[in-house]
Amino acid sequence: MKRREFLSSVSLVLAASPLTPSAHASDHVTSGGSSLDREQWTCIEAIQDHLLPSEPGAPGSRDITATAYLDRALADPKFDPEVKEFIFNGIGWLQEIAGQEEDRLFHLVEPDRREDLLQQIARSEAGKRWLSTLVTYTLEALLADPLYGGNPDGIGWKWLSHDPGRPRPTPDKLYGRLGRT
Amino acid sequence: MSKDFDICVIGSGAGGGPVALSLAEAGYSVLVLEKGPWFKEEDFSKDELACCRRSTYTPNLQDERHVLEQSDGEGGWEALSTFDSGWDFWNGNCVGGATNFMSGYFHRMKPDDFRLLSTFGAVEGANLVDWPIAYEDLEPWYDLVERRVGVSGRIVAHPHQEPRSSTGFPFPPTVEHPIAGWIDRACDELGYHAFPVPRAILPTDALARRGCAYTNYCGSYGCSTGAKGSSRAALLDQAVLTGRCEIRPQSMVRRLASDARGRVTFVEYMDSKGTVERLDAQVYVVACQAIETARLLLLSPGPKHPSGLANNHGQVGRNLLFSAGGSGTGELPYDKLSSDQAELLKVRGLFVNRALQDWYQYQHPDSGKQRKGGTVEFLFRHANAISRANAQKWDDGELVWGKPLKDRIHAYFTQARYLRFEVFNDWTPVDDCFVSLDPAERDKWGLPVARIRLGYHPRDLDVGRFLSRKGAQVLEKLGAERVRWGVSGSPPQNLVAGGCRFGTDPATSVLDPDCRAHDVDNLYVTDGSFMPTGGSVPYTWTIYANAFRVAERIAATLGSPPKGDSDPLDRQSKESS
Repeated sequence: MKRREFLSSVSLVLAASPLTPSAHASDHVTSGGSSLDREQWTCIEAIQDHLLPSEPGAPGSRDITATAYLDRALADPKFDPEVKEFIFNGIGWLQEIAGQEEDRLFHLVEPDRREDLLQQIARSEAGKRWLSTLVTYTLEALLADPLYGGNPDGIGWKWLSHDPGRPRPTPDKLYGRLGRT
Repeated sequence: MSKDFDICVIGSGAGGGPVALSLAEAGYSVLVLEKGPWFKEEDFSKDELACCRRSTYTPNLQDERHVLEQSDGEGGWEALSTFDSGWDFWNGNCVGGATNFMSGYFHRMKPDDFRLLSTFGAVEGANLVDWPIAYEDLEPWYDLVERRVGVSGRIVAHPHQEPRSSTGFPFPPTVEHPIAGWIDRACDELGYHAFPVPRAILPTDALARRGCAYTNYCGSYGCSTGAKGSSRAALLDQAVLTGRCEIRPQSMVRRLASDARGRVTFVEYMDSKGTVERLDAQVYVVACQAIETARLLLLSPGPKHPSGLANNHGQVGRNLLFSAGGSGTGELPYDKLSSDQAELLKVRGLFVNRALQDWYQYQHPDSGKQRKGGTVEFLFRHANAISRANAQKWDDGELVWGKPLKDRIHAYFTQARYLRFEVFNDWTPVDDCFVSLDPAERDKWGLPVARIRLGYHPRDLDVGRFLSRKGAQVLEKLGAERVRWGVSGSPPQNLVAGGCRFGTDPATSVLDPDCRAHDVDNLYVTDGSFMPTGGSVPYTWTIYANAFRVAERIAATLGSPPKGDSDPLDRQSKESS
């Protein structure tokens, strides 16, 4: 898979859509760190909640603060700007399908209908890659060191009886700070 | 004429460390220029994000990339940058280089590896040659590495055990996981000879370093105790203590200038602020790992070397080697074991340390001819949690999410342990595996990036499949379920050598038997580039050993250092005996 194909397909799908592209991705309001605006934040939160639902005894995206984690990951100055755009574009795309099918924003759609919308997205290769990208960052939030903003108190490690090894990183030795002299 | 340093070493990994240490200890002034930063033990933690999911120890692909050419299946080659493909071809760019992140499986090459052509004969489409030195020439240096870098292990007789000058390893094996005994028993029953894998890991404190902490994260991670025999911990830290070795991190060499006689006159590099610096030395040693070494020479034309330094015969970058082979996995479900066995299997942090070399040579079933085989290495699946969890999102190409994803992840982590094997066999040298300069892509300094054609010989896959079937058979004998394996011609970027072959004929090799460039008498190459064939084992031990050997040759050409110290190698051997 070439990068250009990987990252540009969403916009290609959008261009083929009968509806005009959403303006959401261009209306950035700086949030916790990246550039998710409030509506994008709410939408991402709802998607992640669906991708990794909370259950008794088994943490989900809310328990692992997955959206805050993603927000912080996106704020990394080294984060690939094209991947970031891909994530944002996908939100617009999902909202458009939600509007088309349900006449409302994704996070206002009934939970069981959300599954149908995500299934619809996953039918295209581009949509599948977009969802897969979100799953990846959600699982990072589940299992990365808590200092990165997810996995509070190691809740993800505990769920999976996973020993993360020692020594653990310290705040001054996290990715992004290491190697800066 | 006074020079800034006696020796300038470019690159600080397995090829640079032994040279810097040996020559600093011998009394020469040594400068090491390293492109990346200088991480210390306290910088390394078991942080999967920093280690393995972001570019922390390697360049950001937006800034620096490679261009890889792969077969298009129709006789042509398709080029794609690693930025575009996401296939990162960098290894550790920091003081100590990739040795910081190795697993430290240390195997020597065997006598016949030094004479593949004369032992096994020519192979059509392959550029097989014998080495210009024999195993016996390198053996004392393999032995020295055991003591100086610190190799732990235990000798067990097996059909292809190579000859040794010392009876045993200087350090006992790292503490082994109970599964090592299970593998031994399974192999016994199959009539195979599993043996303990030597590791460049200190089981306990020694050599002024701390021993292994046994925390289950070794390969891919920097070692936080210094137990792993990286060039940094084992060699460069010691070199600096001599007071005669200076290491300059974040110093990217962009060219070696040379004069009308063809000799290197100075080195030009960019420091962390991007300022261009120049300095000179009596001898220049290039050890940037095979691909970047070839690139630097090609980036350094001079009046006598119009197509790149040491490249008057067009050999620089040719006959690049990787390690051929494949890998396999089997599941050991806890519920198929007794509860005691299951608890033993769950133990983390101990070493599997088992390999098979029964088929280092074997009789080809069809032709009946003796053929070069390789090594089967056993190991647990890496402990990295994010990558293991993330792999569960795919079920036969379909994306899984929601509760089904959570169930898969939970089962994967809690219901079984996964034993793997890796196969190492020769990457047969071919015309279509080489390094050149990309005509278009440049790095952040404006220098052309390396373009690598990734052709391979079909025989490599055949040998890899033969060995993988043996590995899979052992996993099945152990009771593993869902045993799967795969062999491909896709190269592992961390196992790379060749590109500046050593040999006696300047028309077909870049370096002479001492690893000095044939037509540049103050230039040496000491990383894996010199290897005309690579053996069927990981390369690090051989690179270390050869770099120690070449350091002695360099010292011999330099004459007495200003302050004549005793032979550091003798001194060290007494200390560690």
